[in-house]
Amino acid sequence: MTSITPIVEKAIAQIRASFPDCPLESVPDGGGGAFVTLNSVPLGHPWAQTDTWIGFQITFQYPYADVYPHFVRPDLKRADGQPFGPGLGQAQFQNQSAVQVSRKSNKLNPAIDTAALKLLKVLQWLRSQ
Amino acid sequence: MAPITVTPWRLVLPEAMKAELFAHLFPGDNDEHGAIILAGVCQTDRGLKLVARELHLAIDGKDYVPGRHGYRMLKGEFIQSRILRARDLKLAYLAIHNHGGTTSVGFSSDDFASHERGYPSLVDISRGLPVGALVFARSAVAGDLWFEDKQRAPLKEAIVLGQRRELLYPSPLKTTQVRRLEFDRQSRLFGDAGQELLRSLRIGIIGLGGAGSILAELLGRLGIGEFVLADPDRAEVANLPRLIAARRMDAIIDWLPRGLRTRFARYKVEMAARNIRRANPSARIVALQANFLEPDVAKQLVDCDYLFLAADTMGARLLFNAIVHQHGVPGVQVGAKVPVSPSGEVGDVFCVARKVTPGHGCLWCNGLINPSRLQDEAVSDEARRGYAYVADPQVAAPSVITLNAIACSHAADDFLFQVTGLKNQDAQQDWFRWNSRKGTAGYDGPRRDLECLECSSVDDSRLGRGDFFPLPTRAK
Ligand SMILES: [Zn+2]
Ligand SMILES: [Zn+2]
Repeated sequence: MTSITPIVEKAIAQIRASFPDCPLESVPDGGGGAFVTLNSVPLGHPWAQTDTWIGFQITFQYPYADVYPHFVRPDLKRADGQPFGPGLGQAQFQNQSAVQVSRKSNKLNPAIDTAALKLLKVLQWLRSQ
Repeated sequence: MAPITVTPWRLVLPEAMKAELFAHLFPGDNDEHGAIILAGVCQTDRGLKLVARELHLAIDGKDYVPGRHGYRMLKGEFIQSRILRARDLKLAYLAIHNHGGTTSVGFSSDDFASHERGYPSLVDISRGLPVGALVFARSAVAGDLWFEDKQRAPLKEAIVLGQRRELLYPSPLKTTQVRRLEFDRQSRLFGDAGQELLRSLRIGIIGLGGAGSILAELLGRLGIGEFVLADPDRAEVANLPRLIAARRMDAIIDWLPRGLRTRFARYKVEMAARNIRRANPSARIVALQANFLEPDVAKQLVDCDYLFLAADTMGARLLFNAIVHQHGVPGVQVGAKVPVSPSGEVGDVFCVARKVTPGHGCLWCNGLINPSRLQDEAVSDEARRGYAYVADPQVAAPSVITLNAIACSHAADDFLFQVTGLKNQDAQQDWFRWNSRKGTAGYDGPRRDLECLECSSVDDSRLGRGDFFPLPTRAK
């Protein structure tokens, strides 16, 4: 079992710093990366829930690899009762039911596009649904 | 940092840097001029190799001034800032000046005296990184490199990487040329010296499937002396038509019980090694039955003279591109694409040979390494099973030997003319693309992102960083 690499540890530290009010858990993925779960992330409109957990894997290929997909609480519902649009689907993260949020970045700059920034973009996208 | 082993050393110099340096050293005034090169340190089983990363030209009269002991010298301030930079980026420091003459050059006694006075203390400042000097003539270079404890070693050769591979030595090599009858017809093209050069090269082939198998055959028959082959896969019945000289028994061992017949199939690297040996029994071959992304495998490929990437994963592209730029090893990526839609509709069928050399654009800044696919490859099958959208790895892409052959022949031919120095200076450098349905050959001009962290010389970039910079391999 390979422990989390310093680059991935740094990415996790940046996420912790960007979301100081959200408890963060991370477990090694065995290949140098980590499964990360951030809890009590504010959600709100257009969703029925006020907060969610959000989980994702930062692999050993970070920062070259796109951190995707992200996973949120399995009971996610729209406040207006409408079904999910494209990019959202039922899935499993770390053997837990979840809603998968698939937002790929086909071009990224490893110097700028950190896991923390990607997470912010995913949350912004969720709020714009 | 462990002490660096003292050996005669090689210097890798990109063509564009040599051109800039020579314009500065030889402006036509027959005078002496100065500069500094900072270079990455690569320690390998073939000895020490320095990869030139940055060139700092000394301005005459300001940075390069009349000397106290010799004719001219680099000014203290100019040296100071560069040696500190070398220490911070973990690079070797090389002070440069020129002499007259053409094919032979050497340091003067004044030059050596100044090395003895200055370099032991510079090695202290650089914290053990090698520190030394190069002296150039128009077609020659000599070097004197200093290590800890006043140990020193001479330069063996400088390799200029460009359209043509050029070798510079302190004085013309006395070569004993052996005429090898079996290569008579091809040596009529590039001479016995060319044939000897091919024998002296170490070539890496990453992926020994449909494309790599052809490359091994072509390069083996050209008389390349040394090979490093990497592929973790065993032959399967479905690959046999595309693997050179493959036999059914390479994939299926009939006498074994049914459940075991394919389990002991031959490794693709063994099959390629068998073909190379048949073509050239004296070739030395390291056949690695393992993934290129494993740190130990990557390590064996960083001191090749040329790399052929014939494995089509994003992780392999990223690592190959990194070795080219970090360790100064030119290479080429070959591949074919046969897009067939689920309904059976055939799109544009094409194959490519993309030569990647420091200074000519890279796979990363040309968008050829897809970050999402890189992530997909790094996620384990177990984790992926829970995902909502699964890219089914069971669906194999179509693969055709003729397409592989076009890309590989182009790549091997390009390599041959580059290393033997027969390529024209103004030859086509863009990336070759053959479109089989249209029957057209085209060339894609690679872009160069001047801020690219892989191929540019911005401060944090990988370019020419050698051993003291992480490669994008799997974690240890
Ligand atoms: Zn001199
Ligand atoms: Zn680049």
